[in-house]
Amino acid sequence: MFYVSLLLLLLLAGSDCRVFRFPFQTNEPYNIAHRGSSGEFPEESVLAYKRAIEEGADFIEADITATKDGKLICFHDLILDSVTDVHDHPEFASRKQTYVVDGVNVTGYFAVDFTLEELKSLRLIQRYPNRDQSYNGKLQIPTFEEFIAIALVSPKSERVGIYVEIKSPTFINHHVKWTEGRKFEDVFLNILKKYDYNAKYLTKEWLHKPVFIQSFDPSSLIYLHNKTSSPKILLIAPDSITSDTKQTYEEIISDDYLDYISKIVVGIGPAKEAIAPVDSNNKLLPVTDLVDKAHARGLEVHPWTFNHERNLLLPFDYHQDPYREYDMFVNTLEVDGVFTDSPESFETYRREWRIFSKRKRPYKNE
Amino acid sequence: MWVGAFFIVFLAAVAGSSCGAARLYRFPLSNRVAIQDWRPFNVAHRGSNGEIPEETALAYKRAIEEGADFIEADITATKDCVLICFHDPILDDVTDIAAHPEFRGRRATYEFEGQNLTGFFVVDFTFEELQRLRLRQRYSFRDPSFNGKLQIITFERFISIALEASRTVGIYPEIKSPVFMNKHVQWPQGKRVEDSFMEILQKYGYKGKYKSDEWNKQPIFIQSFAPTSLMYISNITDSPKIFLIDDYTVRTQDTNQSYAEITSNRYLDFISNYVVGIGPWKDTIVPPNITTGYLMNATHLVSRAHSRHLQVHPYTFRNENQFLHFDFHEDPYEEFEYWIKTVKVDGLFTDFPGSLHRYQEWNSKE
Repeated sequence: MFYVSLLLLLLLAGSDCRVFRFPFQTNEPYNIAHRGSSGEFPEESVLAYKRAIEEGADFIEADITATKDGKLICFHDLILDSVTDVHDHPEFASRKQTYVVDGVNVTGYFAVDFTLEELKSLRLIQRYPNRDQSYNGKLQIPTFEEFIAIALVSPKSERVGIYVEIKSPTFINHHVKWTEGRKFEDVFLNILKKYDYNAKYLTKEWLHKPVFIQSFDPSSLIYLHNKTSSPKILLIAPDSITSDTKQTYEEIISDDYLDYISKIVVGIGPAKEAIAPVDSNNKLLPVTDLVDKAHARGLEVHPWTFNHERNLLLPFDYHQDPYREYDMFVNTLEVDGVFTDSPESFETYRREWRIFSKRKRPYKNE
Repeated sequence: MWVGAFFIVFLAAVAGSSCGAARLYRFPLSNRVAIQDWRPFNVAHRGSNGEIPEETALAYKRAIEEGADFIEADITATKDCVLICFHDPILDDVTDIAAHPEFRGRRATYEFEGQNLTGFFVVDFTFEELQRLRLRQRYSFRDPSFNGKLQIITFERFISIALEASRTVGIYPEIKSPVFMNKHVQWPQGKRVEDSFMEILQKYGYKGKYKSDEWNKQPIFIQSFAPTSLMYISNITDSPKIFLIDDYTVRTQDTNQSYAEITSNRYLDFISNYVVGIGPWKDTIVPPNITTGYLMNATHLVSRAHSRHLQVHPYTFRNENQFLHFDFHEDPYEEFEYWIKTVKVDGLFTDFPGSLHRYQEWNSKE
């Protein structure tokens, strides 16, 4: 009897590496660590993610892209030039290429031209020169599975969700081929399913394994619609055209389109400027009705990205005070989550204001 | 009934006294909410100059709106002995002097605090001439929209802004560059800038030791980098004084003493006969490692000051990330937290009194 219960305990422990966890919080706007705690560490590195979890993030966020040999990694850009030391690797000097990306010529070292092993020989650097450079050259690019493991083995008693983006799927599917007719989206989904991320939003199973699948490409989300119950988020940027369907921003935020896409996604992830545009003097203009339109359809709103630097365009109205900006979006505009480079600061804001969403989840009646 | 009588007598006294400046107090001083004294002082350094050009009426009013305990100003003198609020000895950096061809011939080179300085010196302009100038925001990364709109104000105007507030707001004026002032300005009858400075304070009823009844009604700290100025006015007033301490390499302008000397135990013993506190540059209290961008170990300056019952009011706290050491993760509130809770200072000079006030309010819910 004793050995049976010991075995059970070990099995339970093995499945989640921790016997007990608190229920996933859904009362407050989500604290989404954009590329990890990227204000402090090079983005999308193991340390950035671990730190984000320490700091209280609900979700760690990653851009998923593919290598030459079809492996999925966490990496934001298509090229390696801005956040890795690829220029210090003479063995790769010949890999510099020019490809067309969304109609524009881009030159650099493309991740799709490197195998996973080669990418693992590179080291990450902090993208922004005014942030801490002391971890440059020390951290590797993580794989998608390594990223998931960080969330699952987190030592905290709160669960940590994953917020993963299908990044540049048109480009990836053009440059990387998988066997058995699989596409990038299929391989992406298989990894999620391997780790049991496959439940409908806000069900018990989802709260056990929280996940959002995000993308700028509606067709990828539609493709996955019947293949997974996991909740999806459509990312939206003003002044842009969707890479896959060539739709304008105005089309995407139109009433008709929002009606349509609200059958596929549980929310939208707009740029902050789509909600609170800024004029050429870096001052706020009147807010748009995007949040209202989304909320009216039961869609959540998770704007990006909150960071603290003037040079990354914190409008003057906030007086260089990140908490004022959080307050505007959370308290005044009532968004449902924020993508932030500083999950610690957002956590401080939530704690100090004891923010509870004025709107109770679930928002959609289904 | 007798309150009414007191009020009428008070108004009569106010109306009956001489010397110019309109002194209409909207609220009888005895009815105003007292200044807080149970948490470190929020000192609006040059007003709320993170938002509005420094040392302007608007910057001071904004600071009061935002909850500052004290408004702070640098008091310098014009050619015709008028005391004004202005930080630099020259007009070049924060005024539109360059757009005034009528003043082109006033450019001069003087020795200023040990170095040759060239520019348009305040001491070479009458007050009326200075009134033709307009102020601008010192830092290019702060809101420029008030540039060209605001004028230099007098010491008396600064005081009236504090006295007209609906709650008790203290003033924190600095006797600025007294050695230079006394050398270049023709004070009448062998007077010094310190005499003129004190005359104005006395005219507006500033007196009383720290925490006396008189002080509580009209709180004040008189600050200076020049110890002999503070010692000189000690014979004239019992208002509390603060000894300012600059960076390691700077010697006192009047006594030519080094940083090491004026922060030695012996000197602190000596100066504590004249001042109630010190105002050091914060990077000398907890020095940063210039290479890594992180703080090094704190010195013992604060505890040595506290053991002599000296307050510590370091300068200057700014929200922008280029002023924040990496320990604070680009979050100005983390910097406040460290200095208030760990270093335990008694006041903070900040360019962003609104942020400091918000932080203090959050942390005061007992």
